[in-house]
Amino acid sequence: MDQFLRVTGNLLEGFGMTLQIFAITLAFALPLGLIISFGSMSKFPPLRWLVKTFVWIIRGTPLMLQLIVIYYGPGLAAKWAQSLGSSFFLIDWIASWTLMERFTAVAVSFVINYACYFSEIYRGGIESISKGQYEAGQVLGMTKTQIFFKVVLLQVVKRIIPPMSNEIITLVKDTSLARTIAVYEVIWQAQAFIKRDGLLWPLFYTAVFYLVFSGILTLLFNYIEKKMSYFRS
Amino acid sequence: MAVLEVNNLKKSFDRTEVLKDISFSLEKGEVLSIIGSSGSGKTTLLRCLNFLERAEKGTIAVNGKEIFNGENLKKTPESVIRENRLHFGLVFQSFNLFPQYTVLQNITLAPTLLKRGTPEEIEEKAKSLIARVGLTEKTDFYPCQLSGGQQQRVAIARALALTPDVLCFDEPTSALDPELTGEVLKVIRDLKNGDCTMIVVTHEMEFAKSVSDKIMFMADGVIEEMGTPEEVFGNPKSEKTRAFLNSSLEQF
Amino acid sequence: MKKVLSIILAVAMLFSFAACGNTTDNDVETTVTDSAYVADNGKLVVGITEYAPMDFLDENGEWTGFDAEFATLFAEDLGVEVEFKVIEWDNKFLELEAKAIDCIWNGMTITDEVNLNTSCSDAYVKNAQVVVMAADKLANYADVASMADLTFAVESGSAGEAVALDNGLTTVGVTAQSDALLEVASGSADACVIDITMANAMTGEGTSYADLGYAVELATEEYGVGFRKDSDLTAKLNTFMAALKDDGTLQTLADKYELTLA
Repeated sequence: MDQFLRVTGNLLEGFGMTLQIFAITLAFALPLGLIISFGSMSKFPPLRWLVKTFVWIIRGTPLMLQLIVIYYGPGLAAKWAQSLGSSFFLIDWIASWTLMERFTAVAVSFVINYACYFSEIYRGGIESISKGQYEAGQVLGMTKTQIFFKVVLLQVVKRIIPPMSNEIITLVKDTSLARTIAVYEVIWQAQAFIKRDGLLWPLFYTAVFYLVFSGILTLLFNYIEKKMSYFRS
Repeated sequence: MAVLEVNNLKKSFDRTEVLKDISFSLEKGEVLSIIGSSGSGKTTLLRCLNFLERAEKGTIAVNGKEIFNGENLKKTPESVIRENRLHFGLVFQSFNLFPQYTVLQNITLAPTLLKRGTPEEIEEKAKSLIARVGLTEKTDFYPCQLSGGQQQRVAIARALALTPDVLCFDEPTSALDPELTGEVLKVIRDLKNGDCTMIVVTHEMEFAKSVSDKIMFMADGVIEEMGTPEEVFGNPKSEKTRAFLNSSLEQF
Repeated sequence: MKKVLSIILAVAMLFSFAACGNTTDNDVETTVTDSAYVADNGKLVVGITEYAPMDFLDENGEWTGFDAEFATLFAEDLGVEVEFKVIEWDNKFLELEAKAIDCIWNGMTITDEVNLNTSCSDAYVKNAQVVVMAADKLANYADVASMADLTFAVESGSAGEAVALDNGLTTVGVTAQSDALLEVASGSADACVIDITMANAMTGEGTSYADLGYAVELATEEYGVGFRKDSDLTAKLNTFMAALKDDGTLQTLADKYELTLA
């Protein structure tokens, strides 16, 4: 019993970290994703290509690799730049790079990664709204901003809830990748019990934490979906 | 003085000329029906009047004031175009109601955003328009709860809420089941009695004949023939008009 | 086409700048030494994993163990604080190179891989890889030849795995030495190859694996501390280590944690 409480306490501490990663990722990736989706739909081709290439790179590489690049990359680049011994300003600048906090690196990686995934969902949602909705707004004298926020947005939100809820529940589970750069989330804590005490069950016990949380999220999304069922678009 | 005066309007998509030198005018309270086969440019003309398409050449004047000139197309800021298009209202073939708003909200949204009065005034006006199209008991319904004909009547009320000088209809009954076209045509007929200036692109020849003051027959981007219903339907001058009228009669 | 060419040119120019810098290396001031870097930071960041008896947490949640105490003494000698950072062991060389940690000090066996990726100190502790199995079966398997039919759990990438493979044994890779013990205890593997330090600490009377034991030693190995390549801290630690050996401090520590000095 004592052991169970100790394990639960440690895992809760780890799950606190999991939740922090989750919350920060959502808070920044949701708006950033919208901005990226605008970029990928821009009428200015260079911007569009740039954004699309960026999204391709982020979506086309594993998040684990991105974590490693973002956390270790600056330190390694600095070392390389120092070894060149050049005083060219760019090299000088790279040589001054230092590592960020581990948690910051996790936050940055997750926000960028998820913003790119979200941007594709937003783009799909926005492009699925019929031209007629925009034109109806236009002939009624609305500005582009008014059309987006007053007419299009809620319809987009309704359409993207199913793919979004999928992606957000994936995020809950992806947080376990943070341990790659030694940010101690719940799986790390559980593995510590294996390494330290030869206790295997805490690892399986973490499933309870994930299940409860994703269960709550599922209920929340069902609620929102129901809330929006009053209209069809 | 003419409410609407269109001169030498030209519009092409890529290299296809869709409108070739269109000129006509409309007096206040007149109803103009535009007929013609698909691809004749009639819908494009309507969209040019509402600035959903920009004509390359020509002028549009409302109540004697020029609101569009192809010459300074590039220089016209978006806000001016927005201001000018309010002289026109447009009812779409596919209604395009805002699905997340009730009937009342669909009608009050634009006047509220454009600050056309206090919320009470706007709502009062919207309710009277809803009554005018006979949907008072549906005031708080959502579009998905209405039939196609009812949705189109709401769309008409929505367009009227901004009191346009000219109300345009782009094939308002084409997306409807035949049994629902009557209620929409009745509303348009009632509007004519209310002295509303209207341009109707339509396939309903009987309706065009009975409600219109003028008929415009378009073919290949030009006005092939224009005149009173008696002139165009009774005694068409152009060979193309005759052929078109014959073929559309056969469909019935 | 023009665009592509200009981009290629720009990149080439950047590299030539870098190359220029390289040739003029001599007249640029020497880069900061590792010891100066650590002194400047005011702390020595030691990369570890939880690994009794080298590094583990005591009742107060403080790091203790042979390596923890040894590293603390070294940091004191350098005049800086010591900071222990539990890392993902797979990423240890990355951590070191990127300066996320300053050394890997965690009962690390000196292997070619270690020598290739770090500047490794002199060996300080000796270890052996042993075959752990159910204590009542030990008598049946007195040498490697008799073990041909058994399945061995080993930590992937560990010295134990290397030794097992060298001896032609059938192995199953797991993520930690403790997992390998678990495999044996649960019966999913017949035996495991782990290091003697671990085996002493975790098997036999009064441990979680009381019915496991070992008899056969497969290979001896030595532990070293990994610093960044070209680091001047390696030499400093070697000097410091020699002094601690001479005055008996290191032997006292080894006795405390039941280890054998190299």
